[in-house]
Amino acid sequence: MIEARDISVAIGGKRIVSHVDFVARPGEMSAIVGPNGSGKTTLLKALTGEQAYTGTVTLNGRDLSAMKPVEAATLRAVLPQSTALSFPFTVREIVRLGLIGGRSGVLPGEDQRLPERALARVDLDGFAGRFYQELSGGEQQRVQLARVLCQVWAPVLEGRPRFLFLDEPVSSLDVKHQLIIMNIARDFARRGGGVVAILHDLNLTAMYADRIFVLHRGQLAASGAPMDVLNDKLIERVFDCHLKVGALPTGSVPFVLPQSAA
Amino acid sequence: MAEQSIAGAAGRAMAADGDRSVRARSVILLLCLALALCVFLSLTSGASDASAVRVIRDWFIGAVPADAVLAARDQLIVYDIRMPRVLLGVLIGAALAVCGAVMQGLFRNPLADPGLIGVSAGSGLGAVAIIVLGATWLAPVTLALGALALPLAAFSGGLAVTLLLYAIATRQGRTSVATMLLAGIAISALAMALTGVLIFMADDRQLRDLTFWQLGSLAGATWAKVSTVGPVIVLALSAMPFLSRGLNALALGEATAGHLGIPVQRLKYIAIVGVSAAVGASVAVSGGIGFIGIVVPHVLRLAIGPDNRYLLPASALLGATMLLLADAVARTIVAPAELPIGIVTAVAGAPFFLWILLRNRGIVDL
Repeated sequence: MIEARDISVAIGGKRIVSHVDFVARPGEMSAIVGPNGSGKTTLLKALTGEQAYTGTVTLNGRDLSAMKPVEAATLRAVLPQSTALSFPFTVREIVRLGLIGGRSGVLPGEDQRLPERALARVDLDGFAGRFYQELSGGEQQRVQLARVLCQVWAPVLEGRPRFLFLDEPVSSLDVKHQLIIMNIARDFARRGGGVVAILHDLNLTAMYADRIFVLHRGQLAASGAPMDVLNDKLIERVFDCHLKVGALPTGSVPFVLPQSAA
Repeated sequence: MAEQSIAGAAGRAMAADGDRSVRARSVILLLCLALALCVFLSLTSGASDASAVRVIRDWFIGAVPADAVLAARDQLIVYDIRMPRVLLGVLIGAALAVCGAVMQGLFRNPLADPGLIGVSAGSGLGAVAIIVLGATWLAPVTLALGALALPLAAFSGGLAVTLLLYAIATRQGRTSVATMLLAGIAISALAMALTGVLIFMADDRQLRDLTFWQLGSLAGATWAKVSTVGPVIVLALSAMPFLSRGLNALALGEATAGHLGIPVQRLKYIAIVGVSAAVGASVAVSGGIGFIGIVVPHVLRLAIGPDNRYLLPASALLGATMLLLADAVARTIVAPAELPIGIVTAVAGAPFFLWILLRNRGIVDL
């Protein structure tokens, strides 16, 4: 379990996140949503220890700030929004970097084949020999996800749940791969791990998240199950948009919802 | 397609798609052989016709040479002139190439070089101060240290710059690599300005010494120099293999490296101190030798990929080989005089570097 109490982050004198409480339970997908600049990524960086914060973050009951990098790395993996490289790595070499900590959780000896399995998982079968820089943005994002999956391949290790932190994992993906990636995340949670994801698509969020944390100007505007959180009033207040939850378009405008996927 | 053009040189011995470790190992083996060959050639060739083979054979079988005077001369040339020079060449070539590779990994930039963050400029300032002021203001230092004054001054200069940079760029226990790079440019400029003042003060004889030293040379290699800088370089280089996995992770960015379990701050600290020690020691005895630190890792990245577990040892081997070859050219092309080796490495290195860049524009994204 990840528990954060009274998290505040100030960067250059400006307060980006103030007094946010956050809980991510194993077996659940927790989504962080909010408009641009509401502090989503900053909050995620505080939760992963990348950004200095005030307040406390505990990971499976232990204080994050007292953990060594290698200890934290066995309990959680982090997918950044995008990753640029300066050196000509192949896709396989990048995915293998996920195994640096050596705690993927598969049987010893299976690590060698894990990069290929992870690539197949994110629908990049046969990409292992390609150069990372030659791939499209969406493909690069999926390569990074494969690397992150290698790091915590088993959602539960030695009886302790592990966590995936995903910063806009589907932002550069087509709809097919959005569903594939969200299904991977949900599957990770169903098998006992925990997922914390920043999402922009409210439909995907409603479909996959067990719990939603809505950020607005650095503060927690609402949290809870999608049913309870996503209502007209909140969306109007937070996103500054007159939108109606559950309203179908009038007339003959086609619309495609991820929920309709078979 | 790009994959095939790169694979061409070393064959296509691949364990799995995108896994270049088998090829990397065979390239390292080839480099070992190449270095051994170069060491042998460097020991046996030179301005004099002394035969290293004969000297070594005599020493092995304990034979009494027919011409004692000639044998003594040959022994002197091989043991006391060529051997320390070859050893220094190997050590410095390896140090420059490995330090280049480590800096590039640390700054996530294939153009990074110890020269960039001011280590070389600081070492240069220390050395120039001894050359120009050694007889006057710094006379006590030169008197106390003798021949070691110059290498030690260069070494201290490099280390001082590094520590200063590290202090400037570290805030709340985190070292900003970008700040360090920018501060390095400023401090380099300052060190070079001070060096300029010293050059302005220098007399004609000192100017000649200075110019020669700045262009870089392995001439004047002695066992004393080997024993002064050798341990520093060997110690610094032997720490580098422990950094290779961390440097690989750093390619994804500092934050991601941390998330993968790498103690990033400690990695940066060891890399920076190790590089400044090895570069300071190298500059101290050989002056400024350019291009090895950029060209060698770059060529190897194209051949075996950027995995530092293979890149660092391969860089050490190829760097040593390249410097020995450059030195062989430097001391034979205008024999019995000698060309500064820095000229050879620049003349050979710069066009080669450009050619590599133009040929692989698609893959190497600067």
